[in-house]
Amino acid sequence: MGITIWDVNIGCGGDAVAAVPSDMPVVRIRDLVKVYDTGEVPFTALKGVDLDVYSGEFIGIIGKSGSGKTTLINMITGIDHPTSGEVVIGDTPVHALGENALAKWRGLNVGVVFQFFQLLPTLTILENVLLPMDFCSTYPMRERVPRAMALLEAVELADQANKLPAALSGGQQQRAAIARALANDPPILAADEPTGNLDSKTAEAVFGLFERLVEQHKTIIMVTHDNDLASRVRRALHVADGEIIEERVHRERHTG
Amino acid sequence: MRPRWRKVFRDLFSHRFRTMLVVLSIAIGIFAVGVVLGTREVLVREFDVDYRSSFAANVTYFSEDFDEDLVRRAEASPGVAAAQARRSATVRYRWNGSAEDRTLSLEAFRDYDDIRVDKVVPVGNAQWPPGRGEVVLEAAAKQVGDYAVGDVLRVERADGETVELRVAGFAHDINAVPAQFVGYETGYVSFDTLGDLGEEPVYNRLSLVFADEDISWGDASRKASALREDLFESEGLLVRYTNVPEPGSHFLGDIFKAVSLLLLALGVLALGLSAFLVVNTISAIMAQQVRQVGIMKAVGASALQLDWLYVFTVAVYGAAAVAVGLPAAAAGARWFTDYAAEILNFRVSSYWLPWWVVIVEITVGLLVPLLAAAGPIRRGVRMSVVRALNASGMSEGKFGNRLADRVLGAIRGLPRPVALSLRNTFRRKGRLALTLSTLTLASAVVISVWSVQTSIERTVDDLESWWQYNVQISFALPLDAGAVEAEVADVAGVAETETWLGVGATVIRSDGSENESFSMVGMDPASEFVGPIVVEGRWLEPGDTDAVVVNTDAQNEEPSLRVGSVVTFDVQGVRDTWKVVGVVKGQLGGPAVFCDAGQLGSLLGNPGITRLVVRGTDPDPDAEQALLEAVEDRLVEGGYQVTNARTRSGLSDQLREQLGILVAFLVIMAVLLSAVGVIGLTGTMTINVLESTREIGVMRATGAQHRSIYQIFVTEGIVVGAIAWAAGSVLSYPLSLGLVRILAEAIGLPLSYGFSWVGVAAWLGMMLAISGMASIAPAFRASQVSVRDAIAYE
Repeated sequence: MGITIWDVNIGCGGDAVAAVPSDMPVVRIRDLVKVYDTGEVPFTALKGVDLDVYSGEFIGIIGKSGSGKTTLINMITGIDHPTSGEVVIGDTPVHALGENALAKWRGLNVGVVFQFFQLLPTLTILENVLLPMDFCSTYPMRERVPRAMALLEAVELADQANKLPAALSGGQQQRAAIARALANDPPILAADEPTGNLDSKTAEAVFGLFERLVEQHKTIIMVTHDNDLASRVRRALHVADGEIIEERVHRERHTG
Repeated sequence: MRPRWRKVFRDLFSHRFRTMLVVLSIAIGIFAVGVVLGTREVLVREFDVDYRSSFAANVTYFSEDFDEDLVRRAEASPGVAAAQARRSATVRYRWNGSAEDRTLSLEAFRDYDDIRVDKVVPVGNAQWPPGRGEVVLEAAAKQVGDYAVGDVLRVERADGETVELRVAGFAHDINAVPAQFVGYETGYVSFDTLGDLGEEPVYNRLSLVFADEDISWGDASRKASALREDLFESEGLLVRYTNVPEPGSHFLGDIFKAVSLLLLALGVLALGLSAFLVVNTISAIMAQQVRQVGIMKAVGASALQLDWLYVFTVAVYGAAAVAVGLPAAAAGARWFTDYAAEILNFRVSSYWLPWWVVIVEITVGLLVPLLAAAGPIRRGVRMSVVRALNASGMSEGKFGNRLADRVLGAIRGLPRPVALSLRNTFRRKGRLALTLSTLTLASAVVISVWSVQTSIERTVDDLESWWQYNVQISFALPLDAGAVEAEVADVAGVAETETWLGVGATVIRSDGSENESFSMVGMDPASEFVGPIVVEGRWLEPGDTDAVVVNTDAQNEEPSLRVGSVVTFDVQGVRDTWKVVGVVKGQLGGPAVFCDAGQLGSLLGNPGITRLVVRGTDPDPDAEQALLEAVEDRLVEGGYQVTNARTRSGLSDQLREQLGILVAFLVIMAVLLSAVGVIGLTGTMTINVLESTREIGVMRATGAQHRSIYQIFVTEGIVVGAIAWAAGSVLSYPLSLGLVRILAEAIGLPLSYGFSWVGVAAWLGMMLAISGMASIAPAFRASQVSVRDAIAYE
């Protein structure tokens, strides 16, 4: 599938991240620990992780179920709080933000894509895409619908804009979720198993979409357990038992 | 419109059934509170308006015949604002072709267009003033019989002749005792008609209104005494009975007060119930929204934005409920007011609700849901994104940590679906607590109402023991006891007879003031024709001198009538002192004082007797009626003028009728409150089942058939219903005790408390049926969802 029209500004938006010099990491993680209180025995999901992510990188986090990869991406998006350690994105210490500040920061700086799409079932596809702009008050009112339509156009869903999520296939829903993640033009896209619930053909299309976004200087961090996809990203981090045990850098970026 | 607000409306619309349920839950709360408070306010106001506009008398004298001159002197007396004379006569009649003799109290005014005191108002097209040969019946007559214009009443004159009166319409007199309370009808006729009935065309009743509108009861009594001396006794006229009601207080005021208090108490309960219901429902709704909260926060929504989103959602529910509940409550209050107005015999000129009732209704509809939602919204919105996203999409019921969980988990041998139902019930403990609170309160109220009814029934049974005879006959004038008893001695069915003397008597207080007249009844102290329930002291004994026993009605009106107190009574103009030796329960027949007939007779110069009581050979109600007719026929044939004749069953029916008004009000309220409980249960069960949709999918994926799924949820509903029933039964004991006390206080009659085990059993059946049924429909809907959709349900 070809995504050719990127006339929407999806370049490096986001207030804090945009200001980071190109030789500085946009994501800086230091000694990150996450312990879950699961009852009698606490479970340590992350054991002192250190990580730097630079602007425009396409990072794949791979690992088995329960390895800590989702926990790691949740720390980056601020969806979950670390037990100790630092997560600094741009110049924002995400680990120190409260829930409310995090929500606003996330809306502007990180687009989140979930495995199960998580579109609001009672809003149309277009309205789902409009929602982040509404919450974060980005873009003047009159620009929001054209922008959302352009994003849907970019993911080839413009003709489905007024349908409810339930009327779309899994792949279409995930593309709509990606359009929503891009609504506020965040510099970073965090995707947790974005292809995990899709067939291989649809997964390929979604992955292709991510590659186009990286070409346009988006930083993408993707959790996956698909080794094939992991081999096609710029950097692949192998997580096991709460630690990054291996890092592979692929010199040649795959262009689809 | 912004997407977030569209989401609110879409959520409401796409979950139509849930929205309807929530709106209905809130609306039924508004309805319950609105009906109860609205009815109370309109009742109290309209009753007062009607009563005040009637220009009720401060004093009424029932005397020997007097003329217009006395009326003019009364009007000219200082401190008298208005005087109204009329003639009252009591006759017996037969309605249309009926063979049953009934009592009719006839009233005649000289000028029907200028009734100044205790006003009588014609209703509809009534012939006003009534023409010769016509009678206009007081409208309450329609409560005891299907009277209609054109009906013929055949009145028997003292000389045995029959005169026909045609019903020419109906009139309203708020000061006339409603027919169902006294067992006779009231009618208005012209003096000519009275003359045709053999009555003298002169007055025998004078009603006065005092100029001082704020006069105290004591001052009114003193003034009534002074005027009696000036107007009547100075002319040598005997006043047989003086009625000085508490100024501004209607004779049904006690029952009215009781109804009003009950409504208030139930209004508070309804408010509490609806608040519980709303908290319960809103909590469930918020629990369902948790995952969406997580998604919205993930795309940038702040807590404040989400707070407003859900506050708005709840406000929409509330506004819709207000839109439904407000008119429904107004209609309900109107119906209830009309019902009460018909029973209590007053007219309603406006159903306008006071603004504060509407404010309370709106508060229940808007503020209570918002307050109820505040906690759940705060908890839901402040939940961390990861927790919200990982929530099952619904409330996170934790099971397994508490002792109760472990006990339930340890129970072995139960069928798997039953075990699952039991554990599910205790999984969402917060929800369970709220549901149980709502249903427990509803159960307690319903069972309490049952107990109040049982108490009233028991009280009536106790009071019935007073009447140890089957028939009582009252006469217009005192008669010779021996002659009367001899007349009926050989009537078929008569076993024993006794005669009493009843006269009006007033208490002369230490300050010289008098109360309104009581009935003083002289009887044989050893009489076995009455079975008094002694509340304090003792009953009359042979050999007692100057001893009186008062009933609770008399003691309520004149608290100085304590056991041991020495009281001066004015009996038909003769003053004498008596000692109160006992207090007995009254039969809601008004204040009465009992004494030795011999002593009362000698005090009054042995005038004779005014009442004959007859014990029959057959206590069956039909036999009693036959006995009454036979005795009355014989007396009329003998030339005796009977003014009233009642059977024991008729008297107890009348008692039941009076107390039954309270029961009727209670039953209506109980139905209303249990409807709140039922809707609450239905709502909770529906939401519980909806929340379990994913679980149902899993169960079906692992082979569960529809029947098993129904069984699980119906059992869960029944378990909840049974727990609420048990807790409600326990709570109903103190609640019903309190309600019975309120009632007893209000009507001035000690009620015999009875706990209703029948109510407990009946409510168990109803509760189980309702809770089971409330679970079937949502379980059915959930089971129809495909496994795939059920598992993906959000």
